[in-house]
Amino acid sequence: MRRSRVALVLLAAAGVLALAFASATMGGTAKKGATPFKAAVILVGPHNDGGWSQAHYDGMQYVQKQLGSKVQFTYKENIAVGAQFNQTVAGLAAQGYKMIWATSYGMVTKQLAAKYPNIIFEQATGTDLSKNLGEYFGAGEDTIFLSGMAAGAASKTGKLGYVVAFPIPEVIRHANAFTLGAQLTHPGATVRLIWTNSWFDPAKEKKAAQGLVAAGADALGQNVDSPATGQYAESKSIPWVGYDSNSMTFAPKSWLTAAVYNWGLYMLKETKLAMAGKWKSEFYYGNMNDGFTSLAPYGPGVSAATKAKIASYAQKIKSGSFYEFTGPLYDQSGKLRVKAGVKMQVLQGGTNSLYGMNWLVKGVIGSAKG
Amino acid sequence: MRLTFERRLSQPWWLSVAVPVGSVVVAFVIAGIVLLATGVEPLPTYRQLFNAGFIQTGALTQTLVSATPLAFTGLAAAAAFRMKLYNIGAEGQMYMGAIFGSAAGLFLGGRISSSATVIFAMVAAGIVGGALWGSIPGVLRAFFRTSEILTSLLLNYVAGLILTYLIFESQSYWRQTKGFNATVFPTGKALPDVAQWPTWTIDVQGGVVIPLGALIAVVVAVLLWLLYSRTRFGFEARVLGDSDRAARYSGVRVRRKILAVMAISGGIAGIGGASQVGDFAHALDGDPNGLQKLGYGYTGIVVAALARYNPFATLLVAFLIGGLENAGNTLQGPGFPAGLVGVLQGIILFCALGGEVLVRHRVRIHRRVPKRAAEAAS
Amino acid sequence: MNNSLLVVLIASGIAYGTPLLFASLGELLAERSGVLNLGVEGMMLVGAVMGFWTVQRVHSNTAVVLFAAIVVAAIIGAVLASIHAFLVITLRASQIVSGLALTIFAGAVGLSSYLGNDLNLADSPASHTFNAVFPQSMQNWPVVGPIVFGQNVLVYASWALVVVIWLYLSRTRPGLNVRAVGESPAAADSMGINVTRYRYAHTLLGGALAGIAGATVTLAITPQWVDGITGGAGWIAIALVIFAFWRPELCLVGAYFFGALQALAPQLQARDIHLGPTVLWTNALPYVMTIVVLVVVSSGTARSRLGAPAALGNAYVREER
Repeated sequence: MRRSRVALVLLAAAGVLALAFASATMGGTAKKGATPFKAAVILVGPHNDGGWSQAHYDGMQYVQKQLGSKVQFTYKENIAVGAQFNQTVAGLAAQGYKMIWATSYGMVTKQLAAKYPNIIFEQATGTDLSKNLGEYFGAGEDTIFLSGMAAGAASKTGKLGYVVAFPIPEVIRHANAFTLGAQLTHPGATVRLIWTNSWFDPAKEKKAAQGLVAAGADALGQNVDSPATGQYAESKSIPWVGYDSNSMTFAPKSWLTAAVYNWGLYMLKETKLAMAGKWKSEFYYGNMNDGFTSLAPYGPGVSAATKAKIASYAQKIKSGSFYEFTGPLYDQSGKLRVKAGVKMQVLQGGTNSLYGMNWLVKGVIGSAKG
Repeated sequence: MRLTFERRLSQPWWLSVAVPVGSVVVAFVIAGIVLLATGVEPLPTYRQLFNAGFIQTGALTQTLVSATPLAFTGLAAAAAFRMKLYNIGAEGQMYMGAIFGSAAGLFLGGRISSSATVIFAMVAAGIVGGALWGSIPGVLRAFFRTSEILTSLLLNYVAGLILTYLIFESQSYWRQTKGFNATVFPTGKALPDVAQWPTWTIDVQGGVVIPLGALIAVVVAVLLWLLYSRTRFGFEARVLGDSDRAARYSGVRVRRKILAVMAISGGIAGIGGASQVGDFAHALDGDPNGLQKLGYGYTGIVVAALARYNPFATLLVAFLIGGLENAGNTLQGPGFPAGLVGVLQGIILFCALGGEVLVRHRVRIHRRVPKRAAEAAS
Repeated sequence: MNNSLLVVLIASGIAYGTPLLFASLGELLAERSGVLNLGVEGMMLVGAVMGFWTVQRVHSNTAVVLFAAIVVAAIIGAVLASIHAFLVITLRASQIVSGLALTIFAGAVGLSSYLGNDLNLADSPASHTFNAVFPQSMQNWPVVGPIVFGQNVLVYASWALVVVIWLYLSRTRPGLNVRAVGESPAAADSMGINVTRYRYAHTLLGGALAGIAGATVTLAITPQWVDGITGGAGWIAIALVIFAFWRPELCLVGAYFFGALQALAPQLQARDIHLGPTVLWTNALPYVMTIVVLVVVSSGTARSRLGAPAALGNAYVREER
């Protein structure tokens, strides 16, 4: 009994000593040469989610490749908005990072930015601005509109389904854009919504897709991040429009196209400015012209005629001669919300602004309240 | 070779400290092997962990940000688990405490100018919210003999849904409805300034910020210790934990005790929720990508188990695990995948469980006695 | 008719309930021997990720690959269960804490996430999946078409498993032995039954079935890998065992009931059936229903919980040798 007791204590002591000794002798390697510009990208989900976070990760990779050894990027994934984000920023600040890309709404607050005046913050999808805090997002609705055109053309009955996450303006305007596009190639088309209550939940999205198909949808789209809807569509031989990334591998026959965000271009521009000390805070709203958003490659189910029509509308949107959110726009109850000829603005206009839109257009079946 | 376990009659105090410490060491060794197997060097990683959690500038402040909620959920778990009431619902009870606490802060904050009163009300509301939520499994266990493990766990999911609903899916009292930002994305209403919990800064390591919640946690630990070791209630609760038949025969009101312990446990977790609102977020955080992703309630159970349900040890372990969580965020990246934190925590817990055996039992190793000798002996 | 709410719910209930069924049958076996294993969610997730990995990395014809994937998932589930078994059977640690530790270790922010990351599994769909076995023509038959003939081989295997376990527990000697072990280990021991061996065997078996349950999710239901893809199914499976009075045939009923509940919310939305804050209560409904059922089961049959192995009571495992 004595023996086991003593042995136990010795073991514990030996372990502690070994650890302490070893860590003391492993000194940190001193880096020589020009110190690269340190930037970090903070993702709210896994870097390989095939959706929102992956798109930002791809953007980061693009910039790293373009700038090579002049810049050192790192990324953090699965970081919750709130205290965990603050901790991550504190850690990055202590490690000498000079630029932080926050990829989910609410991550960077004005107070947080004020705490670290020497770090440049770029926040996606938000609206707060300050000396070292900039915002960036873009007209996903333009490319979603185009993808809706593909879906409308592929639908035979004109009944479409759209899987959505939360009833917030961003999602609502995307659903509206999809519907308007579908109605362009398929007059009278209706789009039924099912809310999953989550940005990313393959099981829920599949069930939503099942519900939509059971209700008669013969073409599916989504504003959520996993390809589960597409996998279900493939199993039922129903055409499918994705979101956020090129997920054709998940549904090779059903895939039509998707609106994708090319974060890399904007990230490259701003990183270069930051490195040169010329960065300025701004509210950036990209579009197809500067390459911020584009369509993923088409699948086999998109006819040549549809491709041509989409291309022509894309050109018109780029040149400004057409804008999908131009009046007259009616809501679900038939009431005129945007007068003829009036173009909706990004920030101005209250509930008639893109960022404030809380009503669904005519032809959308489902509640704007979830 | 055979192992037999003989229950120790007395447990030397130093063993109950040496074993948890020893098990953490063993856990780090095992985890080091895991890291090596995946191409990550363990020792520099551990050094970085320690550095990021405790040493570098600002580390302690951020560690306290994690440690404070963990202290509350850890104490909540300790309060219940010690009595063999397995309250897995600290997560949901914390959400309820946050909801009630922020309601108090929002309602009184505009009407009362004394910060101390408002904060006191928030803490009280947090206790009420958490205790109510914890009483549900308590009632079901006490009066319907339903396992509190599953009911408290399932209620976590329900509480999370309610929390998200209040901010994301309704125009509730808690939701910010004015201002442009509010229309863009659902956020909680910001608490007025009187409802912000104070902090104290110690001039060490560049300034360590100590939130009020951390101090409240210490007070709660003391109260909990007093309750369980110095009061009749605590004595009866301990009897109940050891044997509920013995408790019933000795006149202990079993059902009320169960309900009381679950309510206390829930209430403590509720203060943690109020602290989240008052100390850190300053609004109710209903974002599914926010508070609900962090799993403080579940990690609290790990904390309590490691601390062997002792309130003061719980505080210490909460601090250490808080450092691990904080450092995990810093270390995470291409070379250190997120899943490793859970793996490490799990290994620590396994080793602690194994070590627990050594504390309670004396292990004897018997070499196989030759057959003939055994027959001769019998 | 095949698109009516009832038919869709039953067919979906069977499909989505199959992982619940496998996991609860496994947990039933472990609990019958007196061991409570709360680590089901963790074991399911690791089974899910390793089964998925097998399908992505092994190149052969579909049947072979899928079979191998199930075997791998079962093995890894059993390996994880062995940690729990060692801790609670040999070292007599707390069953509750050990099970929770297993969930933390292997769960959504633990080993399964780590493996998924390290093995680069998140980017592509499963190369092979369990699809419907019967031809489309049979699947279109009214009512029985989607419900019976629209399912995959794992579903049919689970039906066979229910029968096998029922026969095992009620008609075979080892099955009666394990029930004795769970009711009173001391009495079983005195009858010459090796309590330790039975407990180990059934706990490992429980782990294997949990692993298979996880593989069902990533190979049949949502054929991809993301962290935490089982979404809490392991906990529902544990509740199911209680709901089913520790009887395999009732596990089947319960699993399909909860599977249908999960499919309910989107189906209601799709049919424009709005009942208040739909999203909130239809998402909360499965959990609330589970609690209600647990209460009814625990109290309605008064003092003795029918079917609960007596040694799986409030005072867990404490054999006096």
